[in-house]
Amino acid sequence: MKEILLGNSAIALGAVLAGVKVVSGYPGTPSTEVLESVAEFNTDGSIDVEWSTNEKAALEIAAGASYCGARSMVTMKQVGLNVASDPLMSLAMIGIKGGMVVVVADDPGPISSQTEQDTRHFGKYANLPVLDPSSAQEAFEMTKYAFELSEQIHLPVIIRPTTKVCHSSGTIEYDDEKYEYEIEGFIKDPKWVIFPPLSYRRHLEIEEQQKEISKMFDSIPYNRIEGKGKYGIASGGATYPIVKDIIEKFDLDIALLKVGAVFPAPMQLHNRFLDSVEKVLVLEELDPVIEEQLYYALAVNNIQKPILGKMNGFVSPAGELKYENTLKIIEKFVDIELIKDEDISTPELPARPPVLCAGCPHRASFYAVKKAMKGKKSVFCGDIGCYTLGNGKPLEMTDTCLCMGAGITIAQGIKKVEPDTNAFAFIGDSTFFASGMTGLANAIYNNTNINVIILDNYTTAMTGQQPHPGTGKTMMGTMSEKIDIASVAKALNAKFVEKVNPFDFEKAIKVVSDAAEYDGVSVVVFEAPCIALFKGDAPCKIENCIGCNRCIKELGCPALYISGRKVEIDKTLCNGCGLCINVCPTNCISKGD
Amino acid sequence: MDILISGVGGQGTILASKILAYSAVVEGNNARTGETIGMSQRGGCVVSHVRTGSVNSPYNPVGGADLLLSFELCEGARNIKYINKNGIAVINTTKIMPVTTSLGTSEYDEEQIKKFITDNARAVFVDANSLAHEAGSVKAVNTVLIGVAYGIGILDVSKESIIQSMEKNIKQRFIDLNMRAFEAGVRYGSEVQVKC
Repeated sequence: MKEILLGNSAIALGAVLAGVKVVSGYPGTPSTEVLESVAEFNTDGSIDVEWSTNEKAALEIAAGASYCGARSMVTMKQVGLNVASDPLMSLAMIGIKGGMVVVVADDPGPISSQTEQDTRHFGKYANLPVLDPSSAQEAFEMTKYAFELSEQIHLPVIIRPTTKVCHSSGTIEYDDEKYEYEIEGFIKDPKWVIFPPLSYRRHLEIEEQQKEISKMFDSIPYNRIEGKGKYGIASGGATYPIVKDIIEKFDLDIALLKVGAVFPAPMQLHNRFLDSVEKVLVLEELDPVIEEQLYYALAVNNIQKPILGKMNGFVSPAGELKYENTLKIIEKFVDIELIKDEDISTPELPARPPVLCAGCPHRASFYAVKKAMKGKKSVFCGDIGCYTLGNGKPLEMTDTCLCMGAGITIAQGIKKVEPDTNAFAFIGDSTFFASGMTGLANAIYNNTNINVIILDNYTTAMTGQQPHPGTGKTMMGTMSEKIDIASVAKALNAKFVEKVNPFDFEKAIKVVSDAAEYDGVSVVVFEAPCIALFKGDAPCKIENCIGCNRCIKELGCPALYISGRKVEIDKTLCNGCGLCINVCPTNCISKGD
Repeated sequence: MDILISGVGGQGTILASKILAYSAVVEGNNARTGETIGMSQRGGCVVSHVRTGSVNSPYNPVGGADLLLSFELCEGARNIKYINKNGIAVINTTKIMPVTTSLGTSEYDEEQIKKFITDNARAVFVDANSLAHEAGSVKAVNTVLIGVAYGIGILDVSKESIIQSMEKNIKQRFIDLNMRAFEAGVRYGSEVQVKC
């Protein structure tokens, strides 16, 4: 079989062919399509696939399945591993039975993330092997290998693709025969119960194991030296193919150390590489992990050799390595001019930052809160999701954003110090289930008078419409009873709980005003579907516009634009939500036919 | 063959990239693509890279692409730097006004943008939205643009391979619409005077 697959889908296919039986995860760019592709390939329903409520739950589910001898996989983005780090650190002590792969996608740039953290450190922190694919093809092969390795060493194995691997595709050739095996089931044994003496004993064993795995990594095909030269470049991940393209294009005599199995470090290979060259450049995204390993190798052998990279400022410590900056760094390293600068001076082009979609219910929710709180001292704590875009002009309704679920709890901290502020927290439906419920319980328990606005658009929108407990849909194609967010809030003893459609303009403002007046924790659930879930109404019409631009200045809807001296509506974008009808002072806008 | 596709999140650039990449696979070649998936899909700038043949990285270097296929006028200008000296830019003249221009924090100067494009590349302008609309839906703008690129003779794959790829990558009920859109693009492209 020969197909073009996205890196994430290639990981999924590798797992399916390796006989994975349970796959769990929480959506997060750039990792989301791994689990979605497993569900797509799961035509006979033999794999149990689920979106879990958060990454910690997902990792524990995969661990439980592995305890029984089933091959399992868990998927998340880098910040998700922070949430799942509690079970991961302990699981490294306990170990596993069925092969278990932990897919954690990193996001150099960052492009769609809060941090540029490097998951390879987590491998070192937890003493777990880390595989770092450089292409979709390699991601496919590495996934199959990761299951075998995991069973061989009785430890979970981390696969750490980055955005440029997750979201690039390659041609994959494969034999579609699945690995078959018997699942033994859970065998009771004290080894599954973590206690201090067990952890001490296991810690000694695991440290010994690291040396063995390091030796294995010295000679696997993902780690190798290509070409010869007195200058050496060490690289891995998505940077490796860029470096290789440059070496080939300019026919450079360079020894290229390619590190795909990055932790535990392949020390013999590193030594061999360092022996063969006079000086070294390390090109890797995020942190200087390979670079530190090479410094360590030199120190152990008591050798001095120049290593250029992030640690001495030769390479920027942050951001992506693209072809252009990589080429510049290599030029400086080999001290030959490889290409003449022919910068085209692009004229100033309009900025196009991402925005809330035309018709997005979040715009209506933010606007209702903004109107209700006009002139009153307020702070608006945001959270992670499409609604983080509420920070942009003209809404400017996101004053803080930290991490999943933090809006509700940051608001409590602010309220404690500024009791005269109306402290608002905005949180999406999926985020509420992932990590908002504990924060809400905390506010109610500790009597902190905050206003919690739950933006329920019936989906996990930012990552591409994944279902969650509030939708009832599952990744196995079944329906569960929906968990009602307002009922959850009431069960947590919230006394003010109101549901309202944010497009019911006057009522929405009234409910928010009442919530702010209420003495105690108030919960408003704004219910309206994400525009991606339904075919919208006919586009709105605009007639006799006087050109005051109030609709644009208040709402910033991308379907509204200025043409000459009047506002026009882009019919391809407008979904007829009608929010702007409430804003126009001369009633020029009306619902479409 | 190295192609860069640019546009605004939501315009369907990823489908165009899939169709082009898979048409190379139909002919027995290897293909790689690099996509923009994530926050930028919410009305931000998006690009897709398509590279066939013996390269290692899926991402085009600046000055490397043989073809720029832009779904939107100013996004075409933003990515002109990716075209090589012999490259061609196929540019949809449709403008999608960013919110920043409506709010007055930036300016969309159509004439200046068009001039910049023609000064720096051999460009083919096409009102692809109108052609797609005539074919049945503006959503088919991606197959119109692929048609134009094929019509001017820059693609190194056959018409049959593109059609086979469309049949694999487009849902059955949208095939007829997209075939009409593709053919409209091919007609437009074959009448334009650009040497490849």
